[in-house]
Amino acid sequence: MNWIQALFKIDRRILFLLIAAAVIIPLVRPLGLPTAVTIHAQHLFDAVDRIPPRTKPVLLSMDYSPSVMPELQPMSLAVIRHCLAKKIPIIVMTLDPTGLGLAEDALHRAVSEYPDAKEGVDYALVGFKVGYYLVIISIGQSFQATFPTDAAGHPSKEVPILTNIKNYDDIGLVVTIAGSAIVESWIVFAVTRYHTTLGAGITAVSSADYYPFLQTGQLCGMLAGMKGGAEYEELLAKHDYSHAPKRASQGMDAISSAHILIMIFIVLGNIGYFIGRRKKA
Amino acid sequence: MDRRIPLTIVLVLGIIMMLQFFIPSRPSETFFTDIFVRWGLLLYIFALIPSVGSLIRHHWRKLSARKQGWAYSIVTLIGLFGMILIGFLDREHVLAKVKAAGLFRTLFLNVQVPMQASMFGILAFYMASASYRAFRARTLEATLLLVAAFIVMFGVIPFGAFVWNKIPFISEWFLEVPNMAAKRGIRFGVGLGIAATSLKIILGIERSWMGGGGKK
Repeated sequence: MNWIQALFKIDRRILFLLIAAAVIIPLVRPLGLPTAVTIHAQHLFDAVDRIPPRTKPVLLSMDYSPSVMPELQPMSLAVIRHCLAKKIPIIVMTLDPTGLGLAEDALHRAVSEYPDAKEGVDYALVGFKVGYYLVIISIGQSFQATFPTDAAGHPSKEVPILTNIKNYDDIGLVVTIAGSAIVESWIVFAVTRYHTTLGAGITAVSSADYYPFLQTGQLCGMLAGMKGGAEYEELLAKHDYSHAPKRASQGMDAISSAHILIMIFIVLGNIGYFIGRRKKA
Repeated sequence: MDRRIPLTIVLVLGIIMMLQFFIPSRPSETFFTDIFVRWGLLLYIFALIPSVGSLIRHHWRKLSARKQGWAYSIVTLIGLFGMILIGFLDREHVLAKVKAAGLFRTLFLNVQVPMQASMFGILAFYMASASYRAFRARTLEATLLLVAAFIVMFGVIPFGAFVWNKIPFISEWFLEVPNMAAKRGIRFGVGLGIAATSLKIILGIERSWMGGGGKK
């Protein structure tokens, strides 16, 4: 009976070690489990894919800090790769002060895979602007006034990709990848006030909050957590847009094993609870 | 008298902004741009001054008084001033083409990013421990939550589909039907609460935002 009792009173340090093993082992030796694509990821992919090459740009707003980078950076990379592969111009911005470094890193990685991509023509980084929802409103009034220069300091009027952007009317699709409630500000102002089309990539923990906006059509599609990034990577590979290493798909193996382990912990904890309750009774 | 000025500003601007939203004309939009967006952006920028000042003051006091954990304040202040200084010195790289890598970016990607990501990653360990100790089917509601959580967790991982290919659809149904119904109800409640609180602030009934514990 002692070993059963021990099973229900596992030391916290052993739990930590098991979780560490469950995360590290699949990263070293991937299981390669296939990721099923949800309809919301498919819709976002389709919304980007419908934009004809060399026409209206995609505005990608990377509104997150490094704390959620492992979960969200693969999504940003996937969207940038999609645009560069299909020659859809892409403008990258951020509303998070630490997002600029992440945006630079994502562009740097993606651009190195597409040597034909030209800065200022196929992509541009307009950088960070303070003000959160005020920046969203300000783009609706005047993109040029909001971003008079790109991140490198070139006047926006001299950057070919930015020259003709007046407001949201000249943008094909807005995609916000966010680790906060800023998605709601994009919905309230960019979608409701300026009638733009918006897609979102968000952390898994906050994904449940945004289902009402998918049903109303205020979000044209959504990537939820690392799984969302993995789904987009699958779609890129399926359409032959990118065969770069699938960082999110690799991460999903680790998430799978950690989830299963947590479920086992919950079951064990509950068995122990019911045995204890029966004993007391 | 000193309290009447901010109350009047809030009353007048609050009513004007409410009316402006329902007037889709050019003068109304111009007013909105000039007053709300420009002033708001300026306020945001100036708000950085007291916030950074407060951070410096807090850590300087802690350091001067040698309070517990004062050594961490040194790290904070060095990090703050160090990155500002490097940002200015490394200006060419910070504002250079995307392909360029300077000291500022190197420090950001190799120090700040791993530190912040690790802090967030540590949550997984505490969640695992907490789920083992606290997630119990004590009541009917807790049991329902437990069952729903199991299905959703199993549905979002590739292993779930590997075991049974219908699991992701069941998981998605949970998110799209019961979850969405609950979220919509909560959002309506929150929306009404925001409207009621905003009205109370505009009309001067709620005054705690001015400090002083809401005294009249």
